Amino acid sequence: MSKVFLEQAGKTVLLMGNEAIARGAVEAGISFASAYPGTPSTEIVETLARYANVLGIHVEWSTNEKVAFEAAYGAAMSGVRALTCMKHVGLNVAADPLMSSAYTGVRGGFVIVTADDVGMWSSQNEQDNRWYGLHAFIPVFEPYSPAEAKDLTKEIFNFSEKFEHPVILRTTTRISHARGPILLGELRKPVEGEFLKDVKRWVLVPAHARKLRPKLLERWSKIEEAVNDFPFNKIENPGSKKVIVACGITYGHVVDVLKEIDKLDEITVLKISSTVPVPRKLVVEAVKDAEEVLVVEELEPIVEEKIKAIVQEEGITVKVHGKDLVPREGELTLNRVAESLIKFLNVSKQSIPWLETNQEISIEVPPRPPTLCPGCPHRATFFALKKAVSKLKIKPVYLGDIGCYTLGLNPPYRVQDTCIEMGGSIGAANGLAITTKQPMIAIIGDSTFFHAGIPPLINAVYNNTPFLTIILDNRTTAMTGHQPHPGTGITASGKTAKIIRPEEIAKSIGVEYIDVVNPFKLDETAEKIAKALKFIEEKGKPAVVVSLRKCALLVASDARRKNIKIPVYRVDLEKCTACTRCYNVFACPAIQVLEDNKAYIDPTLCVGCGDCAQVCPVKAIEPTIKPGKEWKELWW
Amino acid sequence: MKENRYKNVLAVGVGGQGLITFGRVLAEAAILNGVKVLTAEVHGMAQRGGSVVTHIRIGDVESPLIPLKGAHVIVSMELLEAARYINYANKKTLLILNRRLIRPNVPGVKMPKMSDIIEKIKSSGLKTVVLDGDKLAEEAGSYVSANMVMLGALLGSKILDGFVKLEDVEKVISRMPEPWREINIKALKLGYSSYSKAATSDSD
Ligand SMILES: Cc1ncc(C[n+]2csc(CCOP(=O)(O)OP(=O)(O)O)c2C)c(N)n1
Ligand code: SF4
Ligand code: SF4
Repeated sequence: MSKVFLEQAGKTVLLMGNEAIARGAVEAGISFASAYPGTPSTEIVETLARYANVLGIHVEWSTNEKVAFEAAYGAAMSGVRALTCMKHVGLNVAADPLMSSAYTGVRGGFVIVTADDVGMWSSQNEQDNRWYGLHAFIPVFEPYSPAEAKDLTKEIFNFSEKFEHPVILRTTTRISHARGPILLGELRKPVEGEFLKDVKRWVLVPAHARKLRPKLLERWSKIEEAVNDFPFNKIENPGSKKVIVACGITYGHVVDVLKEIDKLDEITVLKISSTVPVPRKLVVEAVKDAEEVLVVEELEPIVEEKIKAIVQEEGITVKVHGKDLVPREGELTLNRVAESLIKFLNVSKQSIPWLETNQEISIEVPPRPPTLCPGCPHRATFFALKKAVSKLKIKPVYLGDIGCYTLGLNPPYRVQDTCIEMGGSIGAANGLAITTKQPMIAIIGDSTFFHAGIPPLINAVYNNTPFLTIILDNRTTAMTGHQPHPGTGITASGKTAKIIRPEEIAKSIGVEYIDVVNPFKLDETAEKIAKALKFIEEKGKPAVVVSLRKCALLVASDARRKNIKIPVYRVDLEKCTACTRCYNVFACPAIQVLEDNKAYIDPTLCVGCGDCAQVCPVKAIEPTIKPGKEWKELWW
Repeated sequence: MKENRYKNVLAVGVGGQGLITFGRVLAEAAILNGVKVLTAEVHGMAQRGGSVVTHIRIGDVESPLIPLKGAHVIVSMELLEAARYINYANKKTLLILNRRLIRPNVPGVKMPKMSDIIEKIKSSGLKTVVLDGDKLAEEAGSYVSANMVMLGALLGSKILDGFVKLEDVEKVISRMPEPWREINIKALKLGYSSYSKAATSDSD
C-alpha cells in the first residue's frame, strides 16, 4: 500500500484505483466508512483504516455487508458524509436497507461503492449491479480510470448531498486494481452529526412509505434532469455519422483503439459516467444526426436498451448497436473492443498491428490453479477429515463455503461438493440433512461464520437437524488479504477489541457437541472429527468442530517481525523412497519433485508446519532446526 | 511514431513472487520521470500460488490492459508462466526470463524440463534473454528480491529508455525500509549489469 496517500494537494502520486476512491472520500470530508472485505473492493476501507486515527474518521470492518450498509446509512442520516464499500455480491446481502435508503434519503452525502468483478477473477458470478440502481432508484456513477475514480468519488458526495439521496459508485476489477497517476486535492475535515427526529421520514411504516414513494419519484426525475449537466459526461467531436457511446471503463479502451486507427479526432464519442439514469438530453444531442450508434458497455445492455427507448420516444431514426457487436460475458479488453469497433467502423484489421492473426505462438503448459499455501491449517484439517471419513467408511457430502478453503475442491482433497454464497454451507445442510440419508458436513471459515453462518446454525439447533459443522478458525479473513474480524481481538483501525469465540457462540445457542481441535495434530484431529460424526449418527443432533490454528501467511510474517527463525523442513534423500505421498496425497506446494520422483522441500517456500513429517511413511522428513516453544506459540 | 507513444510491459509469474511490487516500483519511477503510466494487477484468489500477471503501460495510454500480441517486453519470474503468456508476444517482443521452474500443485502433474521450455520458447524466434534471477537475488541478500533483479534486467535491456530512468527506480526503492532498501538496490543493480552478459551468451 502506498505511503503517499496523505501527500498534500497539488502533488501527483501513483495510487491504486481503490486507494484513489479512498482519497476522494477523504477529500470529500467523510466522517464514517464501513465495509465487509471482498475482492475487488477491499483496499478502499483497508486504506482508510490505516489512516483513520490520523484523519479522525471512524473506519470499521463490519460483520457483513448489511451491517456495513446500515451503519454508514445511519451515519449519513445524522448529516455527516459516509461511505460503505462492498464487492458486487455484497450488495445482495445489503439489498434490504438499500431499497429503504432511497425512500428515506439521507442528510449527509452517502456513497455506496459496489466493486463489480467483471470476468469473475475472484467471485462466484459477474452480476451487473447497475440493475440495483434501476431497481432501487439510486443513481449509478462509473469512473473509467483510477484518476477519474478519485475525482468522481469526491463529486458524487456533493451530488448525493444536494439531492439528499444515496448514490452508487460502481467500480470494476480493472479500475479498483489498476494504478495510475493521481493529482491530489485538498483534504476536508470530518464533522459530527446530529439525528433530527422526523417520524414521517425515518419510520417506514406503510402510511409513511406511501407518502414517501411519490416524493421518491419526484426526486428521481430531478436526478434524471441533473445528470445531463454532470461534468464527467461529455461529447467529443460532435457530428459524425457513426457515434460511439462509451460507458465507464470502456472509455479508455475506446480512446486507445481510436488512436491506434487514427480516428480519435474524427469519430463522435459520448462518454457516460452516470450510467443510471442515462443522461437523455446528451444522448439526443450526440445521436440526433447520426446514422449508427454503438454502445460499448461491459456485461448487460443497460445503457443500450435505454438509448434504444430514448431514440424511439424522440422519433430519431438511427440504428443502435450494442450487444450484437460487443460481448456480453467477461470483461472487455482492448482486443475485444478493437474487434467491435473495427466491425462498426468498417476499417481493416491490418490497421491495428496487434490484431493480425498470422503469428500465433503457443506452447502447451500445465494449468496452475490457485492452491492452499504451504503450511495452511486448512490442508491439515482436510487431511484429518478425509482420514476420519475413511476410518468410519462413510461417504459424506461436503457443503463448502467461500474463503481460502474453497480451494479444497481440487484434488487430492475434493472436500467442497457445493459452494453457493457466504453462509450457504450451513444453510444448505439444513435442507440436505433432512431430505437425504447421507452424512452432511458443512465447512465454513471463521469470518464467513460471523458473516452469515450463525443464523443457519441456530436454525439447525432449533429444528434439530443432524449435521457436522467444521469451523476453520485461522484467526483472520485470509482470502481477501487478512482483515481482522470479530474473532481476532482487533479492529480495523488497530484498537483492541473483545474476542468473540465461535465455540462459545455454538454453546450459547445450544449446540450439544462442540470440540476445538489443533489440525496440525493430524491423527488426533481425525479421531475427534470421527467422534463428532458418531455423535450425530447416534443422537441425530447437530455438532460443531472448531479447527483452530493461524493462517500460515500470518505466522510467517509474525516470525519475520519477531525475528523467530522458521524451522524449515528437509527431505533425507537416503531415506526417501519416492512414494509421492507428501506431494501427491498431502500436496504441500513447497514440496518439489526431483527427476527420480524423490521429494525436495524448497526452503524458500516451506513455513515449517511439520505436517509432511507426520505424513511421510518412512520418516524421511525432519526439521533443519528444532522448532522451539516460541515458534509453536505463533500458530495460536 | 505510433510505436514510440508508449511501451507495454507484461510481468508474469506465480502468486507470491512479487509482481505487484514489480509493477508498482516501475510505475512510480515513470511518474517521477513525468511519464504517464497505468498498471493492472491481480488480487484475490489467484494470489494463492496461482498464475499471475501484471500489465504495465507506460506513455500515452488510457486503457490499463495490454492487448494480446501487444507486449513490447515480457518479463517472466517463472518459465511455465512465460510459456503460458507468450500469446501476448508478437514478432518484435523481447522476452526476459528468470531461470526458475515451480511445479503447479496438482497431484500427478506432468512437468516439462527446464531446458525444453527454454528451447521451445527460443524456437519461436523471439529475442529471449534468460537470467538466474533467484541466484542473483540471493547474492544481493535475499531470494525475495528476485523481482528487483528482473526489474534491473528490464532496465538493462534499454527498452524503456526515454520512459523510465534507472536512477528514478533507485529513488523509489530507497523509500523502502531497511533491510529491503539495501538488498533491493543491490538486486536491481545486479540485474541491470547481468542483462547484457546474459543477452550476449544467449543470443543465437
Ligand atoms: C457476500 C460476500 N462478501 C464478501 C465476499 C468475499 N470473500 C470471499 S471469502 C471471504 C472471507 C473468507 O474468510 P474466512 O471465512 O475466514 O476464510 P479464510 O479465507 O480465512 O480461509 C470473503 C470476505 C464474498 N464472496 N461474498
Ligand atoms: S492465506 Fe492462509 S488460510 Fe489462505 S491458503 Fe494461505 S495459509 Fe491458508
Ligand atoms: S513443513 Fe512440510 S508440509 Fe509444512 S510447509 Fe514445510 S514442506 Fe510444507
